[in-house]
Amino acid sequence: MNREIEDYFLNPPPGSAAERAAAFGIDLTLTLQNLRLTPEERIRKLDDHIAGIAKMKATAKFLGRTEESRGRTQ
Amino acid sequence: MAELSESLIFVIEKQSKLLGRFGVECVIVGGVAAALHGAAIPTTDIDVCYARDQKNLERLATALQSVHARLRNAPEGLPFILDAETLKRGLNFTFVTDIGNLDLLGEVRGVGTYEHVVPGSSVVELFGYQFKVIAVGKLIDAKRAAGRPKDLIAIPELEAIQEAQTLQNIKPE
Repeated sequence: MNREIEDYFLNPPPGSAAERAAAFGIDLTLTLQNLRLTPEERIRKLDDHIAGIAKMKATAKFLGRTEESRGRTQ
Repeated sequence: MAELSESLIFVIEKQSKLLGRFGVECVIVGGVAAALHGAAIPTTDIDVCYARDQKNLERLATALQSVHARLRNAPEGLPFILDAETLKRGLNFTFVTDIGNLDLLGEVRGVGTYEHVVPGSSVVELFGYQFKVIAVGKLIDAKRAAGRPKDLIAIPELEAIQEAQTLQNIKPE
């Protein structure tokens, strides 16, 4: 990836789609990280991300149950 | 393809290999196409747009039979013969298979049929097979046409990727 593309995402030019995306709340450094990967690596990264979210959800559910049972015993 | 009981990578790998092994003419569209282009928004939606010529329908039907595909959310006992003729009579199908859910689109809303989706697509290698991936511009059109919040929030990042691609022809391969 050349410097021009790196700059495009890291310092979005005024009026560019990147500037609008950043204003919308997109973290373009993540997009840039993805663009440095091969397509298959991008899918593997996405998979890791989804697995991480699933783990967090499971932990939150477990902690919620623990809090609930603690509340019942008090 | 969506709603994954197995990991996303497992489903994509198995389904890519299935479609590749049977030589099914198709284009990856939807959220996974966005990820292949570099978008960071998480997705578990894997959708494929397939060619509807007779030969491809036969290849697709054979591929689907090999993984015991059946219609998802169809009433129990609904008669369904999985062959090229049935695929020809329908358009968009949601299947459950031995290797996960598989969504097959005969037409992508906002873009059109396979013949409309293919021009401008990129070719990527996944798990040893080459696949076409819908062009970012057409993916944006599809997301806009779908119009759901989860589609619309993907557009700003895709537009940035599209603009970057025009700056230096970044393709997903």
